[in-house]
Amino acid sequence: MNRGLLSAFLVCAAGAAAGPAWAQLNMYCSSPNTAWCQGMAIGFEKLSGVKVAVVQKATGEMLAQVKAEKENPKGDVWWAGPADSYLQAAEEGLLETYASPNVVQLHDWARRVTELSGNRVAGVYGGILTLGYNTELQEKKKLPVPKCWKDLLDPALKGEVMLGNPNSSGTAYLMLASLVQVFGEDEAFRFMKALNANVASYARSGIGPMTAVKRGEIYLGSSVLHGVINEIVAGFPVRPILPCEGVGYEVGSMAIIKGARNLDHAKQFYDWALTLEAQKIGLDVKEYAIPTNRSVPLPPMVPNLTEVKVINYDFAKYGSSETRKRLLERWEKEINAAAK
Amino acid sequence: MKAASIEFQNVRKLYGDVAAVNGVSFTIAPRTLVTLLGPSGCGKTTILRMIAGLELPTAGSIRIGDADVTRVSASERDVSMVFQSYALFPHMTVLDNVSYGLTVSGQPKAQAHEKAHGALKTVGLTGLDQRLPSELSGGQQQRVAVARALVLEPSVLLFDEPLSNLDARLRRQMREEIRDLQQRLGLTVVYVTHDQSEALAVSDRIIVMDKAVIAQEGAPRELYAQPKDAFVAGFMGEANRVPATLTRRDATLGDVALGPLTLTLPHRGLADGPIEVAIRPEAIELTAGGPSPLSGVVRKAAYLGATMEYTVETAIGPLFVIDGGVDRPLTVGTAVAVAFTPRGVIVIPPR
Amino acid sequence: MSDYRRAIAFWIAVGAGGFLLVPWYALQDSVFALGWLAHFTEKEAAPALLQAIRHDHPWLMPLGLFVAAGGALLAPLPRRFRSNALIALGGAGFVYCFAQGFAIGPRGWYFDTFAAAFPAFKGSQEGMGLGAMLVVTCFGMLFALGLAGRGYFKGDAFVAGSVVAVAVLVSVFTFFPVFKILISAVEDNNGAFSLAALPGRLFTQKVWGLGCVGGSTRCGVAWNTLILALLCAFCCTGLGLGFALIATRTDFKRKRLLRILTVLPIITPPFVIGLGLILIFGRSGVINQLLEWAFGLQPGRWIYGLQGVLLAQVFAFTPIAFLVLIGVVEGVSPGMEEAAQTLRADRWRVFADISLPLMRPGLANAFLISFIESIADFGNPILLGGNFGVLSTEIFFSVVGAQLDQGRAATLGILLLLFALAAFFAQRQVLGKKVYTSLAGKGDSGLPTQLPDNVRRLCYSIAVPWALLTLVIYAMAMVGGFVETWGRDYTFTLKHYAKAFSIEFSSHGIIWAGAAWNSFWTTIKLSAIAAPLTAALGILSAWLLTRQKFAGQGAFEFGTMLSFAIPGTVIGVSYILAFNVPPIEVTGTGIVLILCFIFRNMPVGVRAGMAAMTQIDKSLDEASITLGARGFTTLRRVILPLLKPAIVAALVYSFVRAVTTVSAVIFLVSAEYEMATTYIINRVINGDYGVAIAYCSVLIVLMLAAIWLIQKLVGERKLGRRAIGVPAVATLGRNAA
Repeated sequence: MNRGLLSAFLVCAAGAAAGPAWAQLNMYCSSPNTAWCQGMAIGFEKLSGVKVAVVQKATGEMLAQVKAEKENPKGDVWWAGPADSYLQAAEEGLLETYASPNVVQLHDWARRVTELSGNRVAGVYGGILTLGYNTELQEKKKLPVPKCWKDLLDPALKGEVMLGNPNSSGTAYLMLASLVQVFGEDEAFRFMKALNANVASYARSGIGPMTAVKRGEIYLGSSVLHGVINEIVAGFPVRPILPCEGVGYEVGSMAIIKGARNLDHAKQFYDWALTLEAQKIGLDVKEYAIPTNRSVPLPPMVPNLTEVKVINYDFAKYGSSETRKRLLERWEKEINAAAK
Repeated sequence: MKAASIEFQNVRKLYGDVAAVNGVSFTIAPRTLVTLLGPSGCGKTTILRMIAGLELPTAGSIRIGDADVTRVSASERDVSMVFQSYALFPHMTVLDNVSYGLTVSGQPKAQAHEKAHGALKTVGLTGLDQRLPSELSGGQQQRVAVARALVLEPSVLLFDEPLSNLDARLRRQMREEIRDLQQRLGLTVVYVTHDQSEALAVSDRIIVMDKAVIAQEGAPRELYAQPKDAFVAGFMGEANRVPATLTRRDATLGDVALGPLTLTLPHRGLADGPIEVAIRPEAIELTAGGPSPLSGVVRKAAYLGATMEYTVETAIGPLFVIDGGVDRPLTVGTAVAVAFTPRGVIVIPPR
Repeated sequence: MSDYRRAIAFWIAVGAGGFLLVPWYALQDSVFALGWLAHFTEKEAAPALLQAIRHDHPWLMPLGLFVAAGGALLAPLPRRFRSNALIALGGAGFVYCFAQGFAIGPRGWYFDTFAAAFPAFKGSQEGMGLGAMLVVTCFGMLFALGLAGRGYFKGDAFVAGSVVAVAVLVSVFTFFPVFKILISAVEDNNGAFSLAALPGRLFTQKVWGLGCVGGSTRCGVAWNTLILALLCAFCCTGLGLGFALIATRTDFKRKRLLRILTVLPIITPPFVIGLGLILIFGRSGVINQLLEWAFGLQPGRWIYGLQGVLLAQVFAFTPIAFLVLIGVVEGVSPGMEEAAQTLRADRWRVFADISLPLMRPGLANAFLISFIESIADFGNPILLGGNFGVLSTEIFFSVVGAQLDQGRAATLGILLLLFALAAFFAQRQVLGKKVYTSLAGKGDSGLPTQLPDNVRRLCYSIAVPWALLTLVIYAMAMVGGFVETWGRDYTFTLKHYAKAFSIEFSSHGIIWAGAAWNSFWTTIKLSAIAAPLTAALGILSAWLLTRQKFAGQGAFEFGTMLSFAIPGTVIGVSYILAFNVPPIEVTGTGIVLILCFIFRNMPVGVRAGMAAMTQIDKSLDEASITLGARGFTTLRRVILPLLKPAIVAALVYSFVRAVTTVSAVIFLVSAEYEMATTYIINRVINGDYGVAIAYCSVLIVLMLAAIWLIQKLVGERKLGRRAIGVPAVATLGRNAA
């Protein structure tokens, strides 16, 4: 009589059996570029024979997920996305300490995050905060090309600007923190509030604005330099702007998640991701971020950085969860709530 | 066959607060055909389903043969049932339908098929083994249903209004076959119907149900001739009910004052005073013209082929009459003398 | 030994196996990988007995005693005594097993009161595993056997076991999560009880603000949700009615096309319509480029916001409204219209006075269904919403956004649930009170009245362009997967497909190099596991509901149907809240996704099963039972073969829904178990439309293949010449409605 229930039960059990059959690495990828995430995964798979499962999410969202999974981590290694989120995660004890022998191969600016985090984070690429605009739209609508942050307030740009929501986008937080460092906090918020009049919407992910700009959905958006270069190479009519008051930069980072189930594979990946071989993968998939490994040649089209006013970005302060939380809450209250 | 008796003791079945069967006791002897008769909603089908085990009683006990089966589930009882709708499995062939009961109880297929063939032969249905039920006529479906029930050689066989889906002619034929089969195989059969003529025709005994209790139980003749009350009288064939007054004469007979008439009838234990009489339509004799103690006028007349039906206006009220005299019909408006044959007039308690 | 005692012995053996032989707690990797065999005695993998004796989990010991006591009941005993003992033992063991699980967690007591009462107690434990599952099953089945022995469920042990099993499953996987979400709404984010948190989350500007009325800022998401849903319901009902009238009351030649149009959305992954709209109406979309080229007009971004979401939803849900309405329109008896005509009414009067009023309850039903679909929708608002937020997206960002405020998500979830339940009950009220078909079953041989000319013209002028537009959207969406970059470079390319589904070879063997393979295989695997379980549970429940009578049947029906009214977003949040901590800890696994699919889609199986079963004469079951077959045999040999169309519908529906659902699973996916839809949504957000579209088209092919396969596997039911073949997909459409 109970055979029916039993067979249902067995089917159920068979469902539960769906588990990993071979060695695995769970990779959380916060680069918006799928090909890059996948390129890294496959590169490592070819090297090690370890199957890599990739989940792709914006940096802020990934941080939230890592936090939520703290008791029972599901990911092993977290790769790409600005250092702020990584530093916050390190501060909250979400990351594993691992001193990779390969950190010495990196540029000095990249090694700062490793020092700050006490060997929990390593830089894998660099990116400079940038605005990008659509040249076709500019010609067609005869729109002004801003040179500085303050130029964005030009009423001619009404509804033509798209920025990111720093609550979910690491790039957007980089912009928020940079503005605060350039102008001072109150002045920065006054500026952003005034800018609301021109902003069409705040995208959820860092790549959102450039996605709209390159297709001509919107005229101008925030991004990182390599985000704009990537689109130029892909043939879109876009051009970068590096505002005159100064721009911050991000160190695209990487960390091992505390309690990772596949710790050995994660360490292997960590070491490998810092090597010349791994950092060249970006170029292969047309990703023009600045590599952190000193022996990787700079990608073409990266503008001469000496002409750009890059601020001395305070990773320690703006990566701390206290500052971050305060700025985000203020942004939510003063900027987002007032947005149209 | 191992025909068994059935015994109900004080069986009650409640659906919520409503009693479908309210304290019913009876015994059915082995190898008899007993009919449960009554209007719809009287509880007869519930009793049948309790015998089958499809419903379990709220109180009381049920025995089949020597065993108390009150709490035994349907599939463990040695009882088979023929359903009103036949309930043939539409996706199985005739042969699979009939052998179903054998295969679920674990008999090998070959043996089950052999027995099924035997059962189909018993009901006179051969050569249709591979048909699906939808490809059979109503009468053939009925036979398959009977064969499917018979093949398990049950100690009790139940029929739930088995003939209601057949046309009139087939109905008579099938009821004769069922009766024949029951007697030939010596089965205990319980048969539910609301058709009194069907009940009279096939039964050894009849249990008349009314409002969840037994109204009267007895042999067909007894029920027709000696209905206990107005309900049974009315249900066992047509009856004209007329108020009357009883005066006892002795232990068995009494004088019944019926309008201008006084009849001498068995008083059946009723007390003196107002009573009713039930007059069978065929017990009324009409004579055109002639003077009589009770006269009337024909108000309606209908020709039914074998009989005539009249409604006659009389001093004791309108009477419904069935008359065999088809050749000399009375016309509407004819004055008639009314007389009764004593065997068709029964005293019953007043309302 | 009787069958009854054999059944007891079997379940005791299951319980004993669970207690003595397999790991009690959940393992990190699957228990079926058998890696634990090597670590049998260690703390992680030990069975309950060893856990109790050697690993400081003494509170597990009584469970073993319960199982052993069950073994003693195999001795010859009076039936009544044994039944009562089984009920007591099974019930007590069941309660104890869950009680210890919910009392003691990975950090000791879950409740402060216990911690205060037993300060010396230092025990802790992980989530329940296979062993616990077997032992709980054993107790539940012993309890059921006891009930059957007492004569409940007409003494049928299979029925008793099924009722207990379904009731427990529904309680754990539907009621418990909902309960959890209710609790979370009044907890602060550290888990402490705080009624004060509730108003702070519920009555904020962001939820109820009315800024949009003055035009200065945005309106609250609650208002947005309601406004969108009302507009959507209104449009869908109107369009649905137009289509239904065309299909039944005109001599329109392309009726088959209409039917196809109604099935399409069912097998369409989310985002296809939204992407199609962007490709047509977006700033670089076809229409805008055309307008710009022809008239030099400046294209706008109007598609992002209320208008765009509304448009997408109306495209998506009109077919459902149509399916509801066509039944009603067909159900209006031609006899009545003919009667009106013989009473000298002209066509217009017949339509206005007779036909339309008779359809009114159907219109209300279509309206409410569209309303419910709209408030539960997640894919379209997230794709096209822009700054226009609704409850479902707001809930999502509360959980996955950097805010990480689960309490807020729970509160908004309850609000959304209340909206849905209110609409759901309004619908049942409308349906319950009115008989809206005038079909008499037989003799409706009259011809439906043709529509009055002006109504017909109106229907044509709205419905035909709409239908064409739908086709164009699908066509665009499919073409979009084969061009380089929509809006800029229309060169034919296969690169999007290659990016998603390419294969490479290395020294380690095949590498599924395409970025979509992982989520693709996961989707197939989980959907294929979930679909038969969903269908089985649904049909079993339907059978219990229509064919058995037992106390608490009303509550049982409510439980199996409840998840139908819960929006997916709410289910996702509630599953996270309920199943990310022991005793039942399954988040991040494939199991949680399977469970989510099963209990979310089960109501449709139940409905399909119940509808089909009411058409099967109940005396068929009874005939089978009186012929000596028990409940299970009857179900298997009589009912199931007759239910084949319903089974196909339930299987197809649950598979398709598992493949296309996004709102619930977006909370539940992990690196290892990512679903196709969540992969697609991330591609869409990042502007990778090509890959997203390529993936969608692959999914459509996958679903068509699955539907074909299911129909082949289940087969057709043969009922002789009177059988009427009902195509599964048509049934499916009706069930989806």
